[in-house]
Amino acid sequence: MSPRVIGANLIVSIKSFYREKTAVFFRIAFPVLLILVFGTIFMNQDNVRFEFYVQDLDQTNSSAELVKTLELNEKFKITKVDPAIDAVQYAKKNKLNLVVVIPKDYESSLIQRMKRKDLEASVTITYVYDPSSTSVDAKLQILKSVFAEINQRMSGKPPFITTAETSILNRKYRFIDFFVPGVIAMTVMTSSLFGAVNVNAELRQKGVIKKLSTTPITHTEWILSNVLYQFILSVIATITILLVSYGVFNVSLQLNVWLPVFVVLDVFAFVGIGMILTRVAKEAESAAAAANAIMFPMMFLSGTFFPVEMMPGFLQTFSRILPLYYVNEGLRASMIFMDNMVALRCTVIIGIFAAIAFVIGMMTTKWEEG
Amino acid sequence: MTQEAEHVINVEKLTKRYGDLLAVNDISFTVRKGEVFALLGPNGAGKTTIVEIIETIRKPTSGKVSLLDMDVTKKKHKIVLRIGVLPQGFSSFDRITVRETIQYYSRLFCCRNTDIDGLIELANLKDKSKEQFKNLSGGLKQRLGIAIALVNNPDVVFLDEPTTGLDPRARREVWEVLLGLKKKGKTVFLTTHYMEEAELLADTVAIISKGSIVAMGSPGELIERNANYLVLTLQSVDEKVFEIVQKAGFEPARTNHNNIKVRVEHQDNVRKILNAIKDAGASFLSLDVRKPNLEEVFLKITGAALREDLTEEVTQ
Repeated sequence: MSPRVIGANLIVSIKSFYREKTAVFFRIAFPVLLILVFGTIFMNQDNVRFEFYVQDLDQTNSSAELVKTLELNEKFKITKVDPAIDAVQYAKKNKLNLVVVIPKDYESSLIQRMKRKDLEASVTITYVYDPSSTSVDAKLQILKSVFAEINQRMSGKPPFITTAETSILNRKYRFIDFFVPGVIAMTVMTSSLFGAVNVNAELRQKGVIKKLSTTPITHTEWILSNVLYQFILSVIATITILLVSYGVFNVSLQLNVWLPVFVVLDVFAFVGIGMILTRVAKEAESAAAAANAIMFPMMFLSGTFFPVEMMPGFLQTFSRILPLYYVNEGLRASMIFMDNMVALRCTVIIGIFAAIAFVIGMMTTKWEEG
Repeated sequence: MTQEAEHVINVEKLTKRYGDLLAVNDISFTVRKGEVFALLGPNGAGKTTIVEIIETIRKPTSGKVSLLDMDVTKKKHKIVLRIGVLPQGFSSFDRITVRETIQYYSRLFCCRNTDIDGLIELANLKDKSKEQFKNLSGGLKQRLGIAIALVNNPDVVFLDEPTTGLDPRARREVWEVLLGLKKKGKTVFLTTHYMEEAELLADTVAIISKGSIVAMGSPGELIERNANYLVLTLQSVDEKVFEIVQKAGFEPARTNHNNIKVRVEHQDNVRKILNAIKDAGASFLSLDVRKPNLEEVFLKITGAALREDLTEEVTQ
């Protein structure tokens, strides 16, 4: 084992890496883009605002009061419509999916009810809406609960059932917090898998491996250099992903010793699989195709982009045999939920898998020809 | 150690099988220190198998192969330190420059004192030292491969088809590098299917066909031993000349551009043919009488052409 030989390999690998712009893009810029795109999409959903229109036909202090009450709700973004125009035509023309119409007799009915204690007095608020719109249901639901609360308060009686919220998480966690560990696990996986396939299949096909086998470098030194190189790339990618996640989305993730543990195991597991694939598929192209065939299900079914719980039962069972599932689970357990027991369990499972894959990979990768 | 001074490579009864295929069939030869030894034969004759067994890349099925008195199947780690190898179809890391590639291989061998500039100069790569491998032409790649084969100042240099696939000019440029190597007194083991290459560079040529050595000696010896005839070439002949020569009792062969080649035992026969053509009133543009070259010797020995593209041209 010579540090000089491993150093020489690392220099060549790293120079080759930064001189190949597409490699830099897919290993570093691509995961960052994923974070930026998905983070932006789902950040808006975290504090989404419901937009609708209000037409106040009453034009009194009381009806203005009601509009103000609705505006107080942070979730609503309200635009007022001129009372002189026809609400239905206006909604059609401007493609509005909801116009709330306050009737002309609003204040008079309110006075009837409140001052004269006339329980028969009521007003009807009209929803002019587009039933084909997907977002209108949510708006109607929230409006319904807002009006229910107003009715309840007007009755002057305290509500019987009240609610309190207790989160099972120590803090409020957002989609982006869930997403970042998945992207780290996925990036390390693809980089290691394709790194191993390229090094072993492409260089073998080109005859570079044959040349190397006539030099003093040993098989172990070569594989170790590659693992180390993949680890360095993974560390760079992970740090970049975390910097962007903190800088742009201010994620709240726990960084502890589990992170490097999972990155190392992720590297070993997928470098191992890459070496095995290279042995099974002799041509560089078919090895790359096989790597793709492994990567895609792993990416989509092991909970990288969305929780495994969202999938049907049989797919959930399938997820649990995917090694990346345990990297995802373990990283989330340590970075979000701070659950050391789950992290440890995932470490053991992925650790055993990585050891087996890597040893088989090393045994099947031979330098000598027949 | 006295044996090492004489014989750098010793191959005894070497046989190699790939399943049912007998690639190398019971061959023996030795390579002396300081000579350029060429293994000459057509594609698929077993050249690369032999050279890769000596380089410790492949294992022999049977037989004994030693290099610098070390058994190639047992002393791989010691042997690789003392040999330099240009594999067939040499390739390297695409985005690494000429200088960096030489540096890399020199680090693998732990040669802190490798004269990288000297190697670049020897391979005539000075203008290209900052060029990335993927941008090099075939000839430049091969020259870089030769420079790399020398990073550890090896006792024996193996060059497996160093000029295959190169255009004539690039080939000549590689030959210049190899002649420089020969001048330095390096022991060189060369495989090739180019006769000119073997004739130009080799001290000893072993002609190999279908896994067996069919003749061995210096190029001059091989020609002398196997070619007790002359080759008469008539250029731009009339249509009827072929028949005239045939009627005169010889076996002419058509080559390209209306040329005819005739193998004759001695000079009197040349006169006989020329007279026959003159009597018949036919004509030709020019003629050439010479001793056969290695290519023709090879044909005579093996009955097959070295390269398929030459078959038509040389068949007699």
